[in-house]
Amino acid sequence: MIVKEIMTTELITVAPDDTLGHAANLLRQYQFHHLPVVRGGNGAATWHWPREKREPLIFEGLLTSQDIDMAVALERENGGPAAGQEPWQSRRVVEVMHRALIRVTPSTTVAAAALLLVERNLNCLPVIQYETAEPLVQAAGGSASEAGAESASRPSEGWQESRPLLVGLLTRSDLLTALARSLGVFEPGMQLVIPLRHGNMHPLARALTLADELRIGVRSVVAAPLQGIFPRAATLRLGTINPAPLLLRLQEEGIAYSFVDQEV
Amino acid sequence: MGFAKRKRRMAQSADVTPARARLLFDRLELNYDFGPEHPLQAQRLAALIDLLESSGLWNQADRQATLPTRAATQAELELVHTPEYIDAVKQLSVRVNSEQLSAEEMHKREHLALDYGFAEGDTPPLPGMHEVAALIAGSSLVGLSAIMGLPEGGAFADETERPLHVFHPGGGLHHAWPARASGFCVYNDAAVAIAHVLRASEAKVLYIDFDAHHGDGVQKAFYDEPRVMTISLHETGRYLFPGTGDVLEMGQGLGRGYSVNVPLQPFTEDDSYIEVMEAIIAPLVVSFAPDVLVTVHGCDTHAWDPLTHLSLTMRGIQAQIRLAHQLAHSYCQGRWLALGGGGYDLYRVVPRAWGLVWAEMSEQSVPEQLPEAWVNRWRPAWLKVREQEAEEQKAMGIQVSSGHFPLTFADRREDFQPQPRRWEISHTNRQTAALARHLLLSSSIRQAFRRPRRVSPMTGLVDLLHLRGSDTPSRSTLLETAKGPVLLRDFCPPSMVERLRADAGLHAFARLPEREWQLLLNIAKSPDCALTLAHTPAGEIVGQVTLAPGDEWWEGLDNVYEVAIEVSSNWRGLHLAHHLLAFALELDALEDMILFAVGLAWHWDTEGLGMSMYRYRELITHLFATQGFVEYPTNEPNVRMEPANVFLARIGKRVDARASSRFLSRVMSTPNLARL
Repeated sequence: MIVKEIMTTELITVAPDDTLGHAANLLRQYQFHHLPVVRGGNGAATWHWPREKREPLIFEGLLTSQDIDMAVALERENGGPAAGQEPWQSRRVVEVMHRALIRVTPSTTVAAAALLLVERNLNCLPVIQYETAEPLVQAAGGSASEAGAESASRPSEGWQESRPLLVGLLTRSDLLTALARSLGVFEPGMQLVIPLRHGNMHPLARALTLADELRIGVRSVVAAPLQGIFPRAATLRLGTINPAPLLLRLQEEGIAYSFVDQEV
Repeated sequence: MGFAKRKRRMAQSADVTPARARLLFDRLELNYDFGPEHPLQAQRLAALIDLLESSGLWNQADRQATLPTRAATQAELELVHTPEYIDAVKQLSVRVNSEQLSAEEMHKREHLALDYGFAEGDTPPLPGMHEVAALIAGSSLVGLSAIMGLPEGGAFADETERPLHVFHPGGGLHHAWPARASGFCVYNDAAVAIAHVLRASEAKVLYIDFDAHHGDGVQKAFYDEPRVMTISLHETGRYLFPGTGDVLEMGQGLGRGYSVNVPLQPFTEDDSYIEVMEAIIAPLVVSFAPDVLVTVHGCDTHAWDPLTHLSLTMRGIQAQIRLAHQLAHSYCQGRWLALGGGGYDLYRVVPRAWGLVWAEMSEQSVPEQLPEAWVNRWRPAWLKVREQEAEEQKAMGIQVSSGHFPLTFADRREDFQPQPRRWEISHTNRQTAALARHLLLSSSIRQAFRRPRRVSPMTGLVDLLHLRGSDTPSRSTLLETAKGPVLLRDFCPPSMVERLRADAGLHAFARLPEREWQLLLNIAKSPDCALTLAHTPAGEIVGQVTLAPGDEWWEGLDNVYEVAIEVSSNWRGLHLAHHLLAFALELDALEDMILFAVGLAWHWDTEGLGMSMYRYRELITHLFATQGFVEYPTNEPNVRMEPANVFLARIGKRVDARASSRFLSRVMSTPNLARL
């Protein structure tokens, strides 16, 4: 599994110059906690546009609801906006966002990304692809040549440098969905538990072979070391309404099974 | 047929079919058969038809007992299924000789099978399956159309000839998805028939699925459709196919609250099943007010069935069928389509169970004994598979059932061992039903269909308020409104409600004023509810307040009461709600009680009022605030489901601190659904 397969690609974003009031509204409207801050793009919510019409999003940072809370709390504590500062609703996103330097790429494995989220206790990782100048010009055709002309007229921007393009966001709920999918819960099926003594995979291997012989669909196999180092049981999601033939064969071969997870 | 003619026929023979029930069966349906190794075999239908004919319950030659059927057209199938899927089914139904096919063609067929759910043993591609599955879907569609008076159902000389009930035992293929075959089902005939009715009429359809497996295909087809309520009672999907059917699958969008699931524990027996069924179905039907009933009578719920773990006998199955018949007559003007469904004890259970469906529907009584000739014909078929069936049951963890062939329609009690964990199982089922009631029934409906409470009667309203004692007459007062005088009266006894009738605008919960009146009568009859009414001098009820103990969600808390208020849509804007609520809460014991009210946006008539949900929410909050109610944030799942919902409570001044903190911690507790 790689990040690309499970990340969220339908993104609601803000621009660095948007106001915090606008960002707070978006967070409330969509009921989530992170907004990627991007330059480029065709506006706040373009994910429903056809893909080829979307401009690349240049990643600037992340704005979390916590950042906004902090700005509001500071203002309240000081009894009003600081001297020369707007009230928080009119402040700009770029003033309070953070750079979110821990990033992943679409081809990062889910295992590596999950490790980052768990160990650093993060809620969300931006998924970034670094652009190289040439492919962009070629791929985006006419409009890119305009962009090229524009950047040529402003050499100080460093066109040769590759810019971080935001291609997705990996959130905890994406991981949760991936877990649910790994367990096969979205497919019609039934559960079968095969105990594995001392992590010995033989019963599982036989069960899978038998299922294949009997043409019983296996929707998911999970054998994970939830406690200790070895998986203690394998949970199979079988796409069948009629498990009896498989169960009979398992009995014949002396392989233990149950429908219920046994408490260890 | 005319009445006189029917009477004459009745005189001729006792086994006549009343004209208004039909049974649909086509010999071609016997081709829906996946082979001798497969659990679903068409022989069960043959055995059923043989049983019906040999007991004189039905005769295929009798034109008045059946309807001409036809296959569903491409357009009709497309109401539910995708064109690509139908196309794939057609291609896979073509009989091919694998030797004549090129490798490429073989490969293409394998891919089709893989993409559309035919690759595995459950639903293998069957030559001619498109034709037979389309015929099954078409029969269900014709049956339902005939009941609904739609042109597809055929023409009838006059209204009394039109069938009211139709039974299609070959139907009920409820697992099929829009683009996938699943669980022995190719085309979802129930969904196709219902979708056709939705398109061709304004009717609302109630679908009840008694099959032991969750009716996932039908639920999926109408998950966001408020005109179809799907109710499925099934063995919990935690272990059994298809794995779905949790109570919390309640529909989405506009269809929220119109998908109902009651997952039952493995090894549930008759008594528990009947208790749960009665607790949930009738109140739901009242609140939904359907125009037609569609039921699936999968009889794999029977204890002898090799594929599931439910432990019903014919008594439980008979109860399902009676309930369906009764609901059809009480709420749907008799319109009822019954379909077959699962059932894998092919000879011992299926013919008897479905024989009962037809007997109930056609109002005939079944003989006690099964016809001897029939037993002699079908017992050998069972003997052949008997050993294998026993083995399979053992593998599934089912206690091997009695090894005999039944000789009577009913089951003999001694053939069924009581389940060892009976108490635990029925307790869990009761809690599942309580959760479903809590989440899916509005408060007035719930009060009108109260379950016996298990809390100590000492804490009940009766004792607290001395309500029903002969020495506490109800109070009444006269209120002058711009529309004329209104009488307010609290603690209305049933006799009072009987003398009144509901105003035409009083239909928030049961949709029809007459049924709303029936609800009020039930509430008045309930010993622990207090009903306050506002009525005109002419005897029309224009508003009501119900005070009743909190439901199972609040179990274990004393003196917690739910307040529900309703005002007729014709009497709005007169401050009636305000006066009525104030009057109803003028109680001596008010300060000893914890009162709460739940405002759920999906019950609000925001369209009729021409205001937004949020504006209405403010209105309610304000109304209750006049009586000292305060809004509390809560984790109660129903309230949390929608931001416009509101939870209001009033904790009396004399309520002791411990009781109120217990109440508040319940309000804020993380909804531990397992607790219920």
